[in-house]
Formats: sequence, structure tokens, C-alpha cells
Amino acid sequence: MIKKHFWKALAVLILLYTFIAGLLVPLKPGIVEMDPRTVQSGRNISFKVKGYNTHYMNSDIRAWLKMDEDHVLAASPILIQNDRDLKLIFGIPPFLPTTDKTQNFTLIIDSPVDGVHLLPNAVFVSQDSVNLALASLQWPPERITDLHEKAGITFPFRNILAETIRNIYFHVPMWFAMILLFLGAVIYSGRFLWKKNMQDDQRAASMIRTGVLFGILGLLTGAVWAKNTWGAYWSGDIKQNMTAICLLIYLAYFVLRQAYEDPDHRARVSAVYALFAFFAMIPLLFVIPRLTDSLHPGNGGNPALGGEDLDNTMRLVFYPAVFGWFLMGLWIAQLNFRIERLRERRLEEE
Amino acid sequence: MQLIREIAFLLHKEWTLELRQKYALGGILLYVLSTVYVVYISFVKIDPDHWNTLFWIIILFASVNAVTRSFTQEHSSRQLYYYTLANPIAVLLAKILYNFLLLVFLSLLTLGAYSLVAGYPIRQLTPFIWAIALGSLGFSIALTFVSAIASKASNASTLMAILSLPLLIPILATVIRLAKTGFIPRAGVEVPIKGDLYILAGIDMLLLGAALILFSFLWRE
Repeated sequence: MIKKHFWKALAVLILLYTFIAGLLVPLKPGIVEMDPRTVQSGRNISFKVKGYNTHYMNSDIRAWLKMDEDHVLAASPILIQNDRDLKLIFGIPPFLPTTDKTQNFTLIIDSPVDGVHLLPNAVFVSQDSVNLALASLQWPPERITDLHEKAGITFPFRNILAETIRNIYFHVPMWFAMILLFLGAVIYSGRFLWKKNMQDDQRAASMIRTGVLFGILGLLTGAVWAKNTWGAYWSGDIKQNMTAICLLIYLAYFVLRQAYEDPDHRARVSAVYALFAFFAMIPLLFVIPRLTDSLHPGNGGNPALGGEDLDNTMRLVFYPAVFGWFLMGLWIAQLNFRIERLRERRLEEE
Repeated sequence: MQLIREIAFLLHKEWTLELRQKYALGGILLYVLSTVYVVYISFVKIDPDHWNTLFWIIILFASVNAVTRSFTQEHSSRQLYYYTLANPIAVLLAKILYNFLLLVFLSLLTLGAYSLVAGYPIRQLTPFIWAIALGSLGFSIALTFVSAIASKASNASTLMAILSLPLLIPILATVIRLAKTGFIPRAGVEVPIKGDLYILAGIDMLLLGAALILFSFLWRE
């Protein structure tokens, strides 16, 4: 009894862990915004900085604007307004150590409590004319040293993503589960054609039904995420379109099942269609999206999943999440299969 | 060898059948011509991007209409008789080949009629001809096989459209992109069409392989 059902308990436990860890672990401190974003060189400028998950009060804060390793400006003075708001005053020299008219700087803030956090391309400084010789005299020989590390379990802070980074534990595993369920349906369809066992046909249908459910959930979680990061629920991204088509292909599977009355005939035709559709889907899911630009990570010049976007703490939640959602998908498919069988048995008795 | 002889014979049979039911072919030709004219009336002047898209949409629906009947026009018992006389694979291959030729003919006819009324923006014919050839092959394989799947249902033609349109989108998307390179002036930069050609050929081979393997499970009643 326990041996037979332990994987269901495992699915529930893993998903509980995913929900709790995925939603409760705090984000690393980060910088949400800096105001103003564009300034002229040669002035003392006061910037308003808004932190996220930061504890600025009563802590020894240092801040820099960094162009590259050798060209760094330190802020002074630093006015702490509350835990999340800072006022930084930078004296920017009239000439920049670059031949460009406009140069972008990264804002780096370090504190013993929060550790180091930064905002890439925080501010764009423009200069009226270029003079490298004067610039090298005007720039202080400042270096960034003695940075603090934040201890504790946290997820990375990404400027556009912010808290939505947690969606990776829900959106991405939906696709893994969907593909695996469709693959399972292919295996059962093949087995039906091989052995002509009606149960295999029903199992394949249940798996496709659950796969479509996961596909729809993946589209919905993706749409919510896209609204928050890309600015629209539907951006016509290649992966969104291909997924919609993929779901149409599998919805057609159910229309096909309805169209045939005779169970034997229906089972054979739908097994053949399921296999054919899977072959037709291979270019749809694995070839065409790789050849077209996409807003998704890993396409069109966007960095791939991994690196700093998926750090080791996130891996500890993400990999179990993929496994847990897949087990959950199998369980839903199995329940659906048993319901269908009971319904059939009742029809036979009547 | 036997297979090729059977295919040749079955091709001849398909052609004889077509000649006996001239209204079917005539209907599709008329469909193509009227759609082309409808497009012309509603646009009058078409820029190349729309020209391309509309051309392939006309081809898409003409193909669905043309191939739907390949397994429904004859009675299923006579179909069974063919399977006992010849190798079922030969029956399928003959139908795919026949539909391929039909679709190429339809595409070229559409290209002619469409260019006559809506203008001829194509600068390089080579990528366009490749698109027509490989696209027609893919359409023919997928549609013939889906027609075999849908043929026994009561409302085969509706089922046919539902089942085949999503399956054809990968081919259609690649074909449209390939055909677009035909609008770049010949004197311009050399257009890399090899990638798209390989993808199209790959999809065609994949579908053909799947169709040949799966058909043996499908024809037995």
C-alpha cells in the first residue's frame, strides 16, 4: 500500500517544499531606481536611490559610480533617509576618461548588513567635449575595496524581474511536465498499436488531456509574467505562438476522438494521429523557435537560463519543482484514466 | 521494383479517376481563380509582404480542398480491394505523389493568375520555385495522411481542416520566410536560402517517414 502510493506523497511533499521555499525565501537586497538617470558632467549632483529589501538605517554605507575597474567615483556625502531611501551626492569631473560623448555608469552600494548590491547602467553622463588628458588629471585614483558579502539564504535580485523571479518554479516546470506527458502519450499510443490493449488508448488520452492542462497553465503563468516584465500579456513571441499551435494540434485530437463512434476504430485512429502529431511537433518546438528571435532567455541575444539568473539557491528549488510537477501530472493523468474507466464500466452495466 | 510498378499503375488510376470526375478538379480551379480575384478586388495594389502572405494562404486552402477527397472519393470497400491487390504503402505513396503533382500544378496556376491581376513583385524565381516544390511536397504528405485519418468519420471535411491546419503551420511559416527572399533584387546581396531549404526538406522527410510507418496501422479495417 505504502510502496504503491509513495510517489504521490513524494509529489505532494516536493510541491509543498517548492511552494514554501519558492514563495518565502527573500530576495537579495537590490536597487530599484536611481533618479536622475541622465546628467551633465562637471557638476555636483544629488541622486535619489531607492533600495529593495535593504536596511540602510544605522549602517556604514559606501557608494560608487563605476565606469570600469580604473575609473570609479565615490559618493560623498551619503544621506540616509530611511531603510530604503538614500540621497547620494556625486561630484562628476567636467571631462570623462572616454572618447564617447555619453558614458554609462554602474551604481554600486556596499553596507555591512546588506552586502554589496548594484544597478547596471544606472546613470548616463554626457560631456560637451572630449579631453582625455584633462580627464586623467581630474579623475581621482579611487578603487573599490573591502566589499561585504551578505550571508543567508536568498534568491538573486534582478532589476526587471524583482519578485517575479519566483515564477520560474511554476512557469518552466509546466513545460517540462507537458512535454513529458505528451511523450508518455506517444509511448502508450505506440503500445496500443503494438498490443491492441484498450487501456493503453485510454491512458494515452488521459496523458494528453493532462498535458494540455499543463500547457494552458504554462501559457497563463507565462502571460502573467510577460505582463510584468515585457509589458503585455501576449507579445506574439515565437514560443508563445508555437505553444498555441501545439495546443491546437492536441485539442484537435479530442475532436477526432469525438468524431468516431466505434471504440476500436476510435482508439486506432487517435493513436495514429497522436504519433503523427508528435512528429509534426518536433520542428515546431525544437527547431523553429531556435531560428527566430525571441524575448525568452537564451534567444535573440538574451542571456540563457543559468549564470547569475539561476544561482545555486534557486537550483535547490527549481530542480525539485520540475520533478514534483511532473509527478503531479502523472497523478492527475492516472486519476483521469480511472474516472474514464469507471464511467465506461457504468455505461456497460446500464 | 514491384513497388515502383504499382505506384506508376496507381498514379495512372488516380489520373483516370480525375478525368472521370472533372467537376472536382474544375471546382478547385474555380476556387483558386475566384479567391485570387477577391484578393485583387479588395486590395487592388498590394505590397510584396502582403502579396506573399496572401499567395500562400490561397495555396493553403486550395490544398486542403484538393487533397480532402483523396481517401473519400472512393468507397471504403473498394479501397480495401486496392490494399489486397497492391502493397498499401504503394497506395499511400501513389496518392502522395499524385497530390504533390496536383499541388505543384495548382501553385503554378495560382502564381500565374495572381501575377496577372495583382502584379509580379518577385525578383528571383529560384527561392520561390523551391518554396513551391518543397512546400507542396510537405502539404501533400501531411494532408494525404490526415485525409486517411479523417476519411472514415461522418463529417470528414470539417475534421480534415481542424486536424491539418495546425499541423501545416511549421511548413507554412518556413515556406513564407523562404519565399520572402525572392523579393530581394537579384543585384543585391546573395541571399542565404540553404538553411530554410534544409529545414523544409527535413520536415518533409520527417512527415514522410512518420506517414509510411503509421499507415500500416491505419488501413486495416
